[in-house]
Amino acid sequence: MDDDHDFLQVIRDLFVAWSENVWQVYCAESADEALEILGTRKIDLIVVDVNMPVLDGIQLIRILNRRYPQLKKAIITGFATEEKRSACLTEGAELFIEKPHSAEGLKSVFTVLHELVSWTPQEGFQGVLRQVGLYDVIQMECLGRNSSILEIHNQQIQGRIYIEDGRIVHATAGDMVGQGAFQKLLSLPSGKFQMQPFESPSEHTIEGQWEFLLMEAARMHDETVSQVLTTKIAAKPELLPAAKTSTAVSGFPVRIAETLICSGQGDVLYAWQCPDVNARVTLLQHIAQQTTRLGQLLPLGSLDRLEIQLATGRVVAQAKPDRMILVHTATGDDKT
Amino acid sequence: MNDTLQEWLAAGAMTPGMLGCGALLPDRTCLSYSFNETYTREQLNNMLHQLAETMALFASNSLAPRRLTWMFEQGMVLMVARPDGLLLGLATQFNTEAVQNVDQLAKDFLTLDLSN
Repeated sequence: MDDDHDFLQVIRDLFVAWSENVWQVYCAESADEALEILGTRKIDLIVVDVNMPVLDGIQLIRILNRRYPQLKKAIITGFATEEKRSACLTEGAELFIEKPHSAEGLKSVFTVLHELVSWTPQEGFQGVLRQVGLYDVIQMECLGRNSSILEIHNQQIQGRIYIEDGRIVHATAGDMVGQGAFQKLLSLPSGKFQMQPFESPSEHTIEGQWEFLLMEAARMHDETVSQVLTTKIAAKPELLPAAKTSTAVSGFPVRIAETLICSGQGDVLYAWQCPDVNARVTLLQHIAQQTTRLGQLLPLGSLDRLEIQLATGRVVAQAKPDRMILVHTATGDDKT
Repeated sequence: MNDTLQEWLAAGAMTPGMLGCGALLPDRTCLSYSFNETYTREQLNNMLHQLAETMALFASNSLAPRRLTWMFEQGMVLMVARPDGLLLGLATQFNTEAVQNVDQLAKDFLTLDLSN
């Protein structure tokens, strides 16, 4: 956008030629014309002259930044000052260029603009997380109602978990598909995973709430570990100290007696075999309050979990701002 | 009963990394020790009462706890109940001598002879 008609014509011809007819260049001699073009066509980049009558380039950039945040914006001027440069970049322009006075200069401007158009910003944060588990990543994706594909592999197997709008909809692991594949991937002792952009899977093989699927996968994993351990101990009882051996092989397997998952506000998301759901929610809310009080008194950081040892079982509870979880496991046939 | 318990608690509270320890007697009186100047005895007593309240709430929900452990990022708070109604409360930081001794302290508390 420039009020110099001749300059616009030269620019248009040169840029189209240098881009080998890939660029489509639209010219506007006023902010009105520029806004009209932006409203009717998909534009990737706008180049604006600062010194324009009525609405100058800086004001236009400010408007464009609000209305078209994805649009790339460059300022070009024949009278560059540090003050103008700073103002333009502050208002959201990606580039501030001095108007060239030669063909070579214009070619340099084109090269820079071409780079700007080709550059695709990556959304989100980049960083390294220490020891993040698959469960955590899946939970984050589901809570955020995201759509993504988790590619998981180790030396034995390769698989994918498809998450669509926060729901686990499909999984593959080697030749397996569906919930079996999902559980197989979550039971891997080690491996690597990578988040890929979402593509709709060829089929939807998994249904149900993600909380239940994760809980079920964890239970299956624990049972498998327990079975392996029991088999090993039965074969070689000396592997474990006497005290542990007696509980592991005495025929008292650990089973989940009840499960409750709530939002941070106490809305029940999933309840399984809870004798009194409302009473359990009250219990979790009490834990959340106690956690706050303890946290105010003791310098111990945030609460990870509350463990309750019962006569014949165990309760693990979490009370976090976004979720509250209670899992009650019992040993033997008794339900505590 | 109080003398034995007091001595035992005082010894436990001196372990490096122990933020505070105390006992809540069946008559709701508290014995607490802290060699950390950040906390007053009154604050620890208050904490013991609150933890006892949590234990009672679990018990009233058919989940009577023998032991209750709050696992924080940098430490833990432990509450142990004896059949005679006596409760022990401990607050320790991780990576300290105290946290390594917690299990032993809890066991000793359960078998502590307070008949004298």
